[in-house]
Amino acid sequence: MSSLAYALRARPRASWIPAAWRQPLAIVGIVIAAAWIVIAIFAPLIAPDDPLAQTFTPAAGPSWHHLFGTDELGRDVFSRVISGSRVSLPIAVTLVALAATIGSIVGAVAGYFRGVVDGILMRSTDLVFAFPPIILAMVVAAVLGRGLFNAALAIVVVAWPSYARVVRGLVLSVGDSEYVQSARLLGASSRRTLVRDVLPNVAGPVFVLATLDLANAILLLSGLSFLGLGAQPPKAEWGSMVAEGTQYFQWWWIGTFPGLAIFTVVLAFNFLGDSLRDVFDPRTARRDAEVEP
Amino acid sequence: MRRWKWLALVAAAGVLASAAAAFGATAHSTAGSTLVVDNSFTIKTSDPQRAFDPTGSLIDRALYDTLFTYKGGDLSNPIPLLVSSWKASNGAKTFTFQLKKNVHFADGTPLTSKDVVFSFERLVNIKGNPAFLLAGVTVKATGPYTVVMTSTTPDTELPAILANPSTGIVNSKLVMAHGGTDAANASTADKAENWLNTPASAGAGSGPYVLKSYSTTSQIVLAPNTKYWGPKKPAFSTVVVRNMIATTQLINVQRGTHEIAIDLSADQAQTLKGNKKLNVSLQPSTWVFWLFANNDPKVSTVTSNEQWQQAVRYGLDYKSILSVAGPGAIQAPGLIPSMFLGSLPQKDDAVQNVAKAKAALAASGLGGQQVTLQYPSDLTINGVPFTTMAEKVQANLQAIGFNIQLSGSPTSNWLTTYRNGQMAFGLSLWGPDYPDPADYLTFAPGQLVGLRAGWAKGADPAIEKLAAKALVTTNAAQRKAIYQQYQHDLNESGPYFPLMQPTQVFVSTSDLKGAVYNAEYDVDVTQISPK
Repeated sequence: MSSLAYALRARPRASWIPAAWRQPLAIVGIVIAAAWIVIAIFAPLIAPDDPLAQTFTPAAGPSWHHLFGTDELGRDVFSRVISGSRVSLPIAVTLVALAATIGSIVGAVAGYFRGVVDGILMRSTDLVFAFPPIILAMVVAAVLGRGLFNAALAIVVVAWPSYARVVRGLVLSVGDSEYVQSARLLGASSRRTLVRDVLPNVAGPVFVLATLDLANAILLLSGLSFLGLGAQPPKAEWGSMVAEGTQYFQWWWIGTFPGLAIFTVVLAFNFLGDSLRDVFDPRTARRDAEVEP
Repeated sequence: MRRWKWLALVAAAGVLASAAAAFGATAHSTAGSTLVVDNSFTIKTSDPQRAFDPTGSLIDRALYDTLFTYKGGDLSNPIPLLVSSWKASNGAKTFTFQLKKNVHFADGTPLTSKDVVFSFERLVNIKGNPAFLLAGVTVKATGPYTVVMTSTTPDTELPAILANPSTGIVNSKLVMAHGGTDAANASTADKAENWLNTPASAGAGSGPYVLKSYSTTSQIVLAPNTKYWGPKKPAFSTVVVRNMIATTQLINVQRGTHEIAIDLSADQAQTLKGNKKLNVSLQPSTWVFWLFANNDPKVSTVTSNEQWQQAVRYGLDYKSILSVAGPGAIQAPGLIPSMFLGSLPQKDDAVQNVAKAKAALAASGLGGQQVTLQYPSDLTINGVPFTTMAEKVQANLQAIGFNIQLSGSPTSNWLTTYRNGQMAFGLSLWGPDYPDPADYLTFAPGQLVGLRAGWAKGADPAIEKLAAKALVTTNAAQRKAIYQQYQHDLNESGPYFPLMQPTQVFVSTSDLKGAVYNAEYDVDVTQISPK
C-alpha cells in the first residue's frame, strides 16, 4: 500500500454516504435526475412561454429568445421540452410503482405458496416475456386505442413480469431461511410472515429494479408516442416531439432537443439504478470491504 | 522476402481490378444508364385495371400504353398515343377511335381493338377503385382497329380519362391465359393480378419498359422493352423506383446522378436553392386540403348546426394555415384546384372574420361543446403532415372559442370512418381522378363525398340542379361559369371549408432531359432521357 493511499484513508470518511454512491457516475445520475425532477415540479415557472401557443415565427433556429428554437407551428421548443417533463416523469413513476406492486404481489404469492399457484402465475409471466416489450406494448396500445392513458396501461402490462420473477426468487430463498421457519412454527399466519418477515427483505432489489425500470418506462412511453400510439397532439410529449422533428430534418432543433431530454433522463436513471444495485448487492459491498487490508 | 512478393502481387491485382472497374463504368454509361426515381410509395398493385394510386400510375404509365397521354406536364390537352384519329358525335355521347396499326405488345403480339375492348371491360367489371372512370360507357370494336365508345351522358372528359394509366391496354390473349377475364363476374373470377405483379407478365403491355422486379415496400425495377413499337426507344437500361421518405430523398438526390425526387416539401426544397446540379420546381399541387363538418344531425348535432359551420368558416385563419405548407402553396378559394377549368380566382379566397365567427358561434349556442377533429396522423402530402395541419386548425378555432379535440389515426382506420359517413369533423383532401372539374361534382349532396359529409340527396336542390347541369354542358365558357357558381354555392351553404393547395416540389438532377412533374403520372418516365 502506497503512502498516498494511507494518506487518503487517513481522512475521515463521511460514513453516511454509502460507498458505491461515491462513484462519479452515481453523482452524475443523481444530479441529472434531481434536476429533471425539479424542472418537472416547477415547469410552469421555468418555461418562458406557453408550450401550446403558436405565436412565434415558425421554424426559427436557436437564439437568445428561443434557446431551443421554435417548431414548425411557431411554438417555443424550450418551453415544450420543459413541460414535456411533466408528462414523462410522473407517468413513468406511477406506472413503475404500479408494475412493481402488481409484480411483487404476484411474485410473492407464487414464491410463498409454491406448487400449482406458482406454476400458473409464473407461466403467465413467461407468456408476457415471450414477446419483445415494445411489440407487446404496441399491440396493447393499438387494441385499447390511442392515447396517453392507454399507452401507460400498455407499459404496465409489459413491465410487471420482471418484478414477479425477481420477487419470486427472493421469496423462495428467504422463505427457506431459519427466521421465517421459526415465525411459522410460532404460529404466524401466511399473510403476516409474508408482509412482516419476507417482503422487507426483498424490498432492496425491487427498488433497484424499479429505478432501472424508470428509464425503460420513459423510453417505452416516448417510443409509443413516437409511433403515434401515446400522447396525442398538441400535447408536448418528448416522443411525439421527436416524431414531429423527423418530418423536418432541415430544422434539426425540433427533434434534437426533446431527443436529448429523453437521452439525459434515461441515462440518469440508469446510472442511479446501477449505483443502487452496487449498494444493495452484498458482493459489491464485500469487494469494498476487501480493499481494507 | 516472400511476404513482400505477395504484397506486390496483391497490389498489382488491386490496380488491375480498379482499372477494370473504371473501364466497366465508362462502358456502362455509353450502353445506357439507370434512372432512379425516389418516391414515398403508395401502391397496392401494378395491375392497371386494379391500380389507382400515385406510385401505381407512375409504374403503369411505363408498362402499359393508353389511348391518350400528355406532353410533359400539360394536363389541359390530352394527345393521342395509341389513337391515330378520333371523333366525337351525338353531343359528346359517341366517340370513334381509330387505333394505330403498327403497335404491338412486348411479346410481339399486335395490339388491336380486341385488346382495347378487353381492357376497358375488365376495368369496369373488376369493380376496383378505378372502375368508375368508365362507368356508364359501353365499348365495342367495329373493326380490327376501330373502337366505338358510347356514353349514356355527355362525356366531354373522355379523352382525359383515357390518359389515366388504369385505362392502359393489356394483351388480352396473354392475360386470359393467366387467369384474366373481362366477364361480368371479373371482380371474383379474374385471377391475373398476382401474375401481372411479376416480371413473367412482361408481354402484357406495349409500353417502353417492362417489369424486372416488383415490391410494394422496397423498390420496383423496370427494364427496357426491346421490341418497343414507338419511334423513340427506351432511353435507360434500368429504371429504379425506390420507396423512401422525403427526408432521405433530400439527401439522396443531392448525391445522385440521373435521379428524381418527387415528395420533398417546399421547405426542404428551399435548402436546395443554388445547387447547380439540380433542377428544382415549385408549383401549386393539384391536391386540395379541406375540412368538413358532418351535416347529419344523427352523427353530430353540433357539426350539423349551420351557425356552428359559419363560425368555422369565418374563424379559420387561412393565412396561418397556408404558412404550414411553406413557400409556393396557395389558399384554395374553392374545391377545384387552380390549374383546372372552372377554378375560382384567388380574389375569391375566404377571409378570416373573428367578429362574425364569434357572433355565429354565440348564435349556435354550441361553443362549449367538445368536437373531435379526426385526421390521418401518418399521412404527409407534399411535405405537409396532416398532424401539423390539424394542430394549426385546432389552435385557430380554440382562439375563437371552439372546444376542439384532436384525434389522429392511421390512414386506413381514418378512411373507414370517413367513408362510412360517421366522421363528425374531419380534415381531408381530394386529388383529382382525372384532370377535369367534373370530378368535383362528387361533393354535391347525395354524391360520393357529399354522403361522407352527411349531405344526403335532396338536402340542397339548387346545388344538385347546378351539378346536374354541369355534367351535360359541353361549351367550355359555359362550363367554367357553372363550375364557378357551383363552388360559390358550396362555399356559402355546403359543409366544406377549402383550406389550401400545398406545393408540388419536383427535383431532378440536371443531367436529365424531359424530367418534369406531371400531375397524372407524378412523372412520365417514358419521356425522360439522359442529357
